Amino acid sequence: MKITLEALNKHFGKVKAVNNLDLEIGDGEFVALLGPSGCGKTTTLLMLAGIYKPTSGHIRFDDRVVNRLLPKERNIGMVFQSYALYPHMSTFDNITYPLKLKKVRRGEMKERAQKAADMMGIGELLDRRPAQLSGGQQQRVALARALVKEPAILLFDEPLSNLDAKLRLRMRGEIKRLQEDLGVTAVYVTHDQVEAMTMASRIAVMNYGVLQTYGAPNQLYDHPDTLFVAGFIGAPPMNFLETRFEERDDGFYLRSQALEIRIPDERGVLAKQNGAPQQVIMGIRPEDITIVAEPEGDFRAEVYLIEPLGREDLVTFKFGDEEIRALAPAPFGGRIGETIFLKLDKEKVHLFNPETEVSSFKER
Amino acid sequence: MTVRRKLRPIFAYLFLIVPSALILLGFLWLLVTSFSTKTEGLRSLGWTLRNWSFLWKPPFGPMSPSIWLITLNTFLVAAGMTVLVVLISSMSGYALSRMKFAGRKGFLSATLILHAFPSVTLLIPIYFVLRWISGIPIVGGGIPLIGGFGFNTLGGVALVMVAFQLPFGVWIMKGFFDEISWDMERSALIDGASRFRVWRQIIIPNIKPGIAALSIFSFLAGWNAYLIPFTFTIRRSGKISVLSVYLQSFMGETTITNWNAVAAVGLFQLIPVVIFFLFSQKALLNIYGGGKKGGV
Repeated sequence: MKITLEALNKHFGKVKAVNNLDLEIGDGEFVALLGPSGCGKTTTLLMLAGIYKPTSGHIRFDDRVVNRLLPKERNIGMVFQSYALYPHMSTFDNITYPLKLKKVRRGEMKERAQKAADMMGIGELLDRRPAQLSGGQQQRVALARALVKEPAILLFDEPLSNLDAKLRLRMRGEIKRLQEDLGVTAVYVTHDQVEAMTMASRIAVMNYGVLQTYGAPNQLYDHPDTLFVAGFIGAPPMNFLETRFEERDDGFYLRSQALEIRIPDERGVLAKQNGAPQQVIMGIRPEDITIVAEPEGDFRAEVYLIEPLGREDLVTFKFGDEEIRALAPAPFGGRIGETIFLKLDKEKVHLFNPETEVSSFKER
Repeated sequence: MTVRRKLRPIFAYLFLIVPSALILLGFLWLLVTSFSTKTEGLRSLGWTLRNWSFLWKPPFGPMSPSIWLITLNTFLVAAGMTVLVVLISSMSGYALSRMKFAGRKGFLSATLILHAFPSVTLLIPIYFVLRWISGIPIVGGGIPLIGGFGFNTLGGVALVMVAFQLPFGVWIMKGFFDEISWDMERSALIDGASRFRVWRQIIIPNIKPGIAALSIFSFLAGWNAYLIPFTFTIRRSGKISVLSVYLQSFMGETTITNWNAVAAVGLFQLIPVVIFFLFSQKALLNIYGGGKKGGV
């Protein structure tokens, strides 16, 4: 089922939890709503579920406006962070509760519950109570319960946040695979950008109730539209430096006290067309910085901190008043206090207008 | 150091035993007295069952009601009150915990103030209210078993008791509902349940301890009530008397009080309470121990 949100608003008193949200989710697509806590992503999800009524705007499932439909009329399945199982019911009763309310025949109910439970690998646990299950098992029961009514849309509200890291990784894959197999439209709320990147076909990044950007994971990573998205997506996060954007006879330059680099002409032209101001914020991801010998380097910096990550070392450098973090192949040979030359990948440099926080490389 | 540490529990026990012993002695005296013709302290000067004769023979002449009718009355008041208090508290507690409506906060603070109100101050206005209800046909005084809801009826007494118990019940229930996660309720709504069904099938089973505790509290309050039944029924040993009032009728102003009989009736009234406590201690502790997050 296709989902369309049009100028959707949700206000709680004076708080605009969701502000003028437009979003289109294709049939069978897996979309992540990503943002820090309080950004309006869960509110959006609950509006999709029919728990909250929008203050204004429209929600369409396919072409039908569903604003006024009750949750039970929407044919959705939802999985919660807290699992939200019914503690006084057995696993079987939990899974079949939606079917019981639909007055499905007892035989069919059993069959479908068993199928959903087997799919989630909890077929053996149907007699147990939620309290007798581990967190991972509980989450599987919750998934089975959401799937058993064969919903047109699956909603996830941070379903993996309460699991330990290893289990989270595994469930991530399972949910993604399951969604692909069933071809069901899924909306997944998370504050974990890695989860969003790995699972979703498109990510909607929200902040303060406003949609920041909407696009494929790689698109958001390689070409972030706003300063917020650039900083939010990617770990370790992007470095930001205040620089001056200068056009000279021979090209476009970024200059600060300690550094001066020339950016590719076509990017400079684009930035100029976009009205990049003199003062801009330059962004560069840690993996786009390399440690080089003196003649090739863009600038010199002092090693301040080395954090081994296993495959790579995250090195923090200081130059002038600024700090910059780079990923170096492990083991990083340098010592703390040593001065080293760094080179930036000019193709991967981002520019942001400090006033509007919009990327100066944004295609219009 | 270690000596001190060893002494500490001894002191704690001593501290608990001394006051408990005083109360236990009282009960022991009650027991001995009820089976004696006369006592000297805790020593019986002659055993007898005569004090318990009210069990098989109405003590105020053959026309006066038997203790069993009075016990039934007491039970009706206590049970009726319990059912009403639990039903109303659990529904309004849910609404106050879960729904947003105008005047919600005002209502919550008003009920709290009501709870703190001494009931004595309201006796006279309530008297007029009950007299007014008495004027309504059937409801006022024409219902079998409980009489009705007017003045000098069991229903009327229960009604007033319910009113006094409700603020407490509503707050307790609200606290228990507050503890239930929103997600569980949302999940049930999405699964296809109506709001009322969610309340009945999902929420209520999860606050059973709260309901149990409130039931016990209400029942005991009804069973032991004295002031309200005494005020709103006439004739202390009449047909619509309850145990506490009946007990009082043994202490006549014109005749010599038979204290041994008073002890026996008092003990009789106590028996169900003790049994109740034995079985419900855990649930009772729950009402103060947990589930009461409260807050507006």
